Amino acid sequence: MGSKTDTKDTSPQVEAFIRVFRAVIVLAVGALVAYFVWHNVTAPDAKFPFKLGLDLAGGSHLVYEADVSKIDPAEVPELMAVLRDVIERRINVFGVSEPIIQVEESSFAAEEKSHRLVVELPGVTDVEAAVAEIGRTPLLEFKLMDAEAVIAQEQAENLRKNASGTGAIIGNVSVNGESVDTLDPYTDTGLTGRYLASAALEFAGGQSGQLANEPLVAITFTDEGGKLFEEITRDNVGQQLAIFLDGEIISAPRINEAISGGRATISGGFTPDEARELAQNLNFGALPVPINLASTQTIDATLGAGVINQTLIAGLVGFGIIALFLMTWYRVPGLIAAVALLLYILMNLAIFQLIPVTLTAAGLAGFVLSLGMAVDANVLVFERMKEEFRSGKGSREAATEGFTRAWGAIRDGNVTGLISAVILFWFGTAMIKGFALVLGIGIIISVMSAIVLTRTLLIALPNVKRDDAGLWPYLLGTGLIKK
Amino acid sequence: MPIIRNRKLFLAIGALIVLTSGAIVAIFGLKPSIDFTGGTLTEVRYGTMPEQSAIEGVLHESALENSAIRESSGEFGTSYIVTTKTLTVEEQKDLGEKLTKLGSDASIIRTTSVGPVIGEEMKSKAYWAIGAVLIVTVIYVAFAFVGIGKPVSSWIYGSFTVLVLFHDILVPIAVMSLLGYFWGLEVDVLFVTALLTILGYSVNDTIVIFDRVREKLVQNRIEHRKKIQEPGGIEHDEITYTITRPFADLVGEAVSETMPRSINTSLTVLFALLALYFFGSAVTQTFALVLIAGLFAGAYSSIFIASPLLVAYAEWQAKRAVANQK
Repeated sequence: MGSKTDTKDTSPQVEAFIRVFRAVIVLAVGALVAYFVWHNVTAPDAKFPFKLGLDLAGGSHLVYEADVSKIDPAEVPELMAVLRDVIERRINVFGVSEPIIQVEESSFAAEEKSHRLVVELPGVTDVEAAVAEIGRTPLLEFKLMDAEAVIAQEQAENLRKNASGTGAIIGNVSVNGESVDTLDPYTDTGLTGRYLASAALEFAGGQSGQLANEPLVAITFTDEGGKLFEEITRDNVGQQLAIFLDGEIISAPRINEAISGGRATISGGFTPDEARELAQNLNFGALPVPINLASTQTIDATLGAGVINQTLIAGLVGFGIIALFLMTWYRVPGLIAAVALLLYILMNLAIFQLIPVTLTAAGLAGFVLSLGMAVDANVLVFERMKEEFRSGKGSREAATEGFTRAWGAIRDGNVTGLISAVILFWFGTAMIKGFALVLGIGIIISVMSAIVLTRTLLIALPNVKRDDAGLWPYLLGTGLIKK
Repeated sequence: MPIIRNRKLFLAIGALIVLTSGAIVAIFGLKPSIDFTGGTLTEVRYGTMPEQSAIEGVLHESALENSAIRESSGEFGTSYIVTTKTLTVEEQKDLGEKLTKLGSDASIIRTTSVGPVIGEEMKSKAYWAIGAVLIVTVIYVAFAFVGIGKPVSSWIYGSFTVLVLFHDILVPIAVMSLLGYFWGLEVDVLFVTALLTILGYSVNDTIVIFDRVREKLVQNRIEHRKKIQEPGGIEHDEITYTITRPFADLVGEAVSETMPRSINTSLTVLFALLALYFFGSAVTQTFALVLIAGLFAGAYSSIFIASPLLVAYAEWQAKRAVANQK
C-alpha cells in the first residue's frame, strides 16, 4: 500500500525519490488503463467491448412462466434445465446473435414459488415473430385415458345440447356418484417430450386401425423413456393412451400389449406437410413442461443510442463540475482528488469491459451518481488532514494521519452502502441488477482509489508546515482564499 | 453548538417534515406503474404528433377505453406513451400498427408487457428489499458501534440511524406522490431503485457523524479498572468508563467538525445529480429528481435529526435513572 517509507538506512533523497517514483507508477498505470478502455471502445475486433443491456442495444425480453404444478418438485430443476436447452436450440435456429436464456425462480417473498424462463434477444424487435418461433416448440404428453369418463362427458354434453332445444335444463350429471363435469378423464403418465430421442416422418403400411399411406410421425424414446413407455404399456393393457400435442389430444390408440424397444408412432389425420413439420419440430426438442408468456419487453435500438449519448454528456459535465469544485476548495489535494476521480472512472470502465458488466440506462445513471459519491472518501480524508495541518503538523504527517483517522468512517459508511447494493442486486430485474453491480463495484473502487491512489500522490508532495514561507502552505490549505 | 442547543426546534422541524410528507402520500397516493400492477405500455414516436383524440379513437376502436395516454419528449423526439391492460403479443402488434398509422414518421420505440402475477411479485419484492436494508443496517451499525457503552448503547445508534432513514425515504416518496398527482408520473422499478440508493447513501452520512461521536467519547473518558474476585478464585478486570465532559457537548463538536465534510460530499453528489437531471437521458430524469429530494432529506436528517436525537435520548435516560433512584 506504499506506506512503509521510513526505513532507517535510506537517505532523505532516496525516500523522496521513492515517493515520487510511486506516484509516477500510479499515473503510468492509469494511462495504461486508459489505453485499454480506449482500445476496447474503438478497435473493431476488440476483445473486451462494453456489453450493452437490452434497453441500450435494443431487442426483446421475454419471460415465460413454466407450469410445474403437475411435476414432482425434486425434478423441477432438471426439467427447467431441459426446457432451457430446448428453447436455446430453437432460438439458435432463429439466428439471433448472443441470446441469453436463463432459468429464474420467483423469490421467497412470493406466495407461490414459480419457475420462469427469461429469454433475451438482442436486436430482435419483432416480438411477435420471436414468440411465434419459440411457440413452435411442441409440447408432447402421453396420458392414460379413462374411456368411460370420456364417453360419460360426451353423453352429458349431448344431453344438454338436446335439452337446450326443449327448454329443459339439465343440472348435474353423475357417474358412480361423481359429477362428470369434475371428472378428469386423463391421467399423467410422466412420459413427455423430454424422453424423446428423435422423430421421423413415415407412412403407414395399412395395418389394423391405420389407413394405408397415412402420414405418421415415428418417435424414438431415449433409453429411460423407452423403459417408462414399456412400463406404462405393460401395466395398462386394454386401456387407451392419449397423445397430446400442445395440450390438444391428437390420438388415443388402444394399448394391445406391452411395447418394448422404445418406439411409438403418432397418427392424427396429418397431411404429409404437417407430419413433416411436427417431426422436424420434435427433433429440435419438445417442451418438457407447458410454458406461458408472462411478460414481454421490446426496445428500439435508437432509444438506447440516445440514452448513451445523453448520459455521456451528463457524466462529463458532472465530472467537470466536481473536479472544479474540488480544486477550488481543496486546492492541490483537490487536484489530486480530481486525478483520482479520473482514475476511478477509468478503472470502473475497464472492469465493466473485463467482467463484463451489462450496462443499462439505470446502470449508467448510477455510474454518474457514483462520481459524486466516490469523492466522499477523499473529502473525509482531506477534512481530517486539514485539522491536523492546522494544528501545526507537517503536511505529509497530516496526510497520513488523516488517512488513519478517517478510515473508521470510510469503512462503516461504505460497508452499509455495499449492503444496499447487494440487496438491490437481489431485488432487481435484469436492468436493475446492472445498476446494483455498477454501484457495488463503484463503492469498492472508490475506497481503493482513495487509500491507494490519493494517498500515494498526496505523500509525493513536498512536506511543509502551515507557517512556512512560499506557495506550498497555501496550496495545501483549504477554502476559497484564506491560508 | 447551536444545532444541539436548539435541538427541540430541529427535531420539531423534522417531525413536521415527516408529518407533511406522510399527509401528502396519504392524500395524493402513489401511481403504481405496470411494473407493479401488470399491463402493457407502448411508446410511439411521431415525426409530427397526432392529436390525443386520435389516440383515444384507436383505443376506443380496440375496446381499450380504460387506458392512460401521456406525452413524452426526450433525446429521441416526441412520443405518446399508452398504457393499457395486459395485451397478448398479437394484440400488441395490432395496437402498434394502428397507432403508427396516426402520424408521419411514426415508430414504436418500446413495448413493455407485464403479467399481473409478475407485477404482484415485484411489489412484494420491493417491500422486502427496503425492509431488508433497514434491518441489516440496524444490525451492522449496532455491531460496528459495539462497546461504545455509556451513555447510549450501540443498539440505539443503530435504531436512530434507521429511524432517520424513514424520514429520508418518506420525503422522496412524497415528492413522487406530488409528481404523480400533478404530472401523472408513475412509481416504477427505477423509483424503488432510487429509494434503495438513498438508503445506502443516507446511512453513510449519519454514520460519519456517529463515528466522530464515538471518537470523541474515547478521547474524553477515564478508565476505571476494578479487580473482580469470582467464586472459584478466578480474577478478572472489570473496566468501566466515566465521561469527563457533557455528552451534549461531545455530540455538538462531532456535528460541527463533520459539517464541512457533510456539506462538501452532499454538494459533489448534488452536482452529479444535477448534471444527470439537466443533461442526462429522459429515461433517468425522474430517477435523478427523486434522488435529489432524497439527498436533501438525507443531508438534513443526518445533521439536524440524528445527532440531536442522540442527545435527547441520553437526557431522557438520565432523567429516568434519577426518577428510578428516588
